[in-house]
Amino acid sequence: MQQPLLEIRDLNVAFDMKHGQIRPVRDVSYCIYPGQTVALVGESGCGKSVTALSILRLIPEPPGRVLGGQILLEGRDLLALSEPEMRKVCGKDIAMIFQEPMTSLNPVFTIGDQIAEAVLLHQHVTPRQARDIAEQALRDVGIADAGRRLDEYPHQMSGGMRQRVMIAMALSCRPKLLIADEPTTALDVTIQAQILELLRKLQRQTNMSILLITHDLGVVAENADVVGVMYASRIVEYATAEELFDHPLHPYTEGLLRSVPRLGARADRLTTIPGTVPNPARFPSGCKFHPRCHRMSGDPACAADEPLLREVRPGHWAACHHVEGHADSPVTRPALAHRRQLAAAEGSLVA
Amino acid sequence: MSIAELPSAPLNLAGPTGDQPPRTFAQQAFIDTFSNWRARLGAVWIVLLAFAAVFAPFLANSHPYLLKVDGRWSSPLLEHLAPVDVILLVGALTAMALLAMRSAGVRACAMALVWMVALTTPLALWKVAWRNRDVLSITIGTPLAWALLLVVCLVILGALVWTWRGLGRQGMVRWPLLAAGALLAAVLIARPIDPPRTVVYEHYREMERAGRVQFILRAPIPYSASDRMRDSSQHRLLPPSWWGGDARRVSTWHWMGTDVNSSDVLSRIIHASRIALAIGFISTGIAVVIGVVIGGIMGFFVGRVDIIGMRLVEIFEAIPTLFLLIAFVAFFGRNLYLMMAIIGLVTWTGDARFIRAEFLKLRNQDFVQAAIAAGLPLRSVLFRHMLPNGITPVLVAASFGVASAILYEATLSFLGLGLVDEPSWGQMLEQARTLGRFTWWMAIFPGMAIFLTVFAYNLVGESFRDAIDPRIRKL
Repeated sequence: MQQPLLEIRDLNVAFDMKHGQIRPVRDVSYCIYPGQTVALVGESGCGKSVTALSILRLIPEPPGRVLGGQILLEGRDLLALSEPEMRKVCGKDIAMIFQEPMTSLNPVFTIGDQIAEAVLLHQHVTPRQARDIAEQALRDVGIADAGRRLDEYPHQMSGGMRQRVMIAMALSCRPKLLIADEPTTALDVTIQAQILELLRKLQRQTNMSILLITHDLGVVAENADVVGVMYASRIVEYATAEELFDHPLHPYTEGLLRSVPRLGARADRLTTIPGTVPNPARFPSGCKFHPRCHRMSGDPACAADEPLLREVRPGHWAACHHVEGHADSPVTRPALAHRRQLAAAEGSLVA
Repeated sequence: MSIAELPSAPLNLAGPTGDQPPRTFAQQAFIDTFSNWRARLGAVWIVLLAFAAVFAPFLANSHPYLLKVDGRWSSPLLEHLAPVDVILLVGALTAMALLAMRSAGVRACAMALVWMVALTTPLALWKVAWRNRDVLSITIGTPLAWALLLVVCLVILGALVWTWRGLGRQGMVRWPLLAAGALLAAVLIARPIDPPRTVVYEHYREMERAGRVQFILRAPIPYSASDRMRDSSQHRLLPPSWWGGDARRVSTWHWMGTDVNSSDVLSRIIHASRIALAIGFISTGIAVVIGVVIGGIMGFFVGRVDIIGMRLVEIFEAIPTLFLLIAFVAFFGRNLYLMMAIIGLVTWTGDARFIRAEFLKLRNQDFVQAAIAAGLPLRSVLFRHMLPNGITPVLVAASFGVASAILYEATLSFLGLGLVDEPSWGQMLEQARTLGRFTWWMAIFPGMAIFLTVFAYNLVGESFRDAIDPRIRKL
């Protein structure tokens, strides 16, 4: 079997707040294989961003704290690395792009300086070569007139353009893993499609892996090979994208899929999941979803103990007492090397 | 507000200018600051003051520019220039030349300036140091003196190499700079700066009275700050010559009268501008460096570091600067550099608070997270990515800090605890106070100099604050 590029094992993160501890990530495990796109989906505050930030050790400490678990990049535990060793991994092996392109570029430096700084740090090149690499990186993300753009400041660019620059910066050192934290949330729809297609194209060219964090199921359906659904700081369902969209097992996933509006369908109101996202300081007992669950709201088992993530079918993990065969299935860490055949849309939107 | 803005409308530099590339934030802030007539007025006064400080020996000096005595030409003014005068002069001339060229970038200009000053300093000082070598080796102890000398040499050499490499391929600046440096070195080695230790100003007047002077070209104000005209007691405490009264009795002309030692007041005011500028800039510079480093660390690391840092800030804020200065002067004597260091070491707390607040805000910004995620070292994250985005409030505070440092020095001198020999504005005010009779020219002119300088810094600082304040800023 293929070696995973990144393997997260039983990650637990806590934040020590004034009124006790909150646990934004609990027992999260998943694997990312080379060339694969893994999507983490969930509502705001479910812990998906914290999971991603903890890979790069970007969680503010204090109040944040990793309680336990391992983050293995090609077998090396990132949580055990020293600061200087970690800095070599950041940017070189793992790069990250952020949600808000308007604020993720430094306003006082030119685009070229910002890209070249990271290149100079991670590769043995002269400043002149770094500039050439930066120019090539801009060209790769489809920015016309890259040579002139290098000397521009972020405020001279539009949001979509800046997100391209962010991607160029992230990819200038050829990372093995790209963490994209809601990369298209702040962009309008046509730009969204362009950026996602650009990411797919670059992924094909460089065979990098992508960890895609989003709450947009459309983005997931279009891009992801494997999907993990997070709810209340845990993964509640984990499967390949096709399997998840065709046969959702967890009631929360079902609810999410039902609440996506469909073109052509007549409906007065969009379907919603009743209730609100639980406050991490006061999680409900037992299954964290049971107060909002439509399946068996009266079942005392749901309120009493929290279901574990079990492999209820080969390659399909779910954490719900009311999934057929849940009680008898083995408890394993989810890992899927699946790659989906995505339609190659070369050159349609990305020039 | 709107009426005050009207006169500047035709000169509005901030207006839209068509196809020109958009400006950076720093450029825009600079233009916004000086599009205001009050700030321009303040800047004009500060520039005048800087000009007076640099060219003080040429503006007010008892030594004539040119002298022909008994058929021999000489230039006593140049012969009596001190090393400091020469270093300041070379620095100012280089800055002017760079401003006139306008083609090089800010970075190249700064590098060129550092280069010229680093080259001039040892060249200007070597003869004086050589002459005093016995004193040096006895007072410091030979090995220590040599070690110190070595360190100084290495620093200067490092500065030269660093600036030369930093200039990169700026040929426009690089080769003229090398030529100017070589010329300077040739001149300063052939004619070292070696002013005579005993100076008799009366000498020129005696020669003139004796009729031996065939040609003399004097400075605009022909009196040095320390020219006390002791032999002619009728020069003591003269009012300005245009005022009348006692002044009519003497043949010499004094624009602002003379002081209790018969020195020319205008000359002393001009020479005192050096101290005013130096104490303002150096003490504020020390405060800004300390404040930025401590405030930056507090704001970035938060938690325990922040708590300890803020207590440190509070401890320093509890120290009354003036009383500390008085105590130090009482124990360690009247030393200008000591004053600068103390003012700097005590007043950094405001800057640290500003930087801390800015960094607390910046550290959660995406671009700072992105910089950390790119694996940049802490030094680069803190001082390359965060500092330029958070430095502006400190610059505003610094312009007010310069003004308050000048006031501290003036206050100390006014209390009679300032410098003894060098002229300073506060010390002149103190003379006016202790004389027993009212000599208005001794109070008004130095008082106006202090007032105008502090006022000018405040005008510029206020305008700068308005320019960078997003709430007041109009787009």
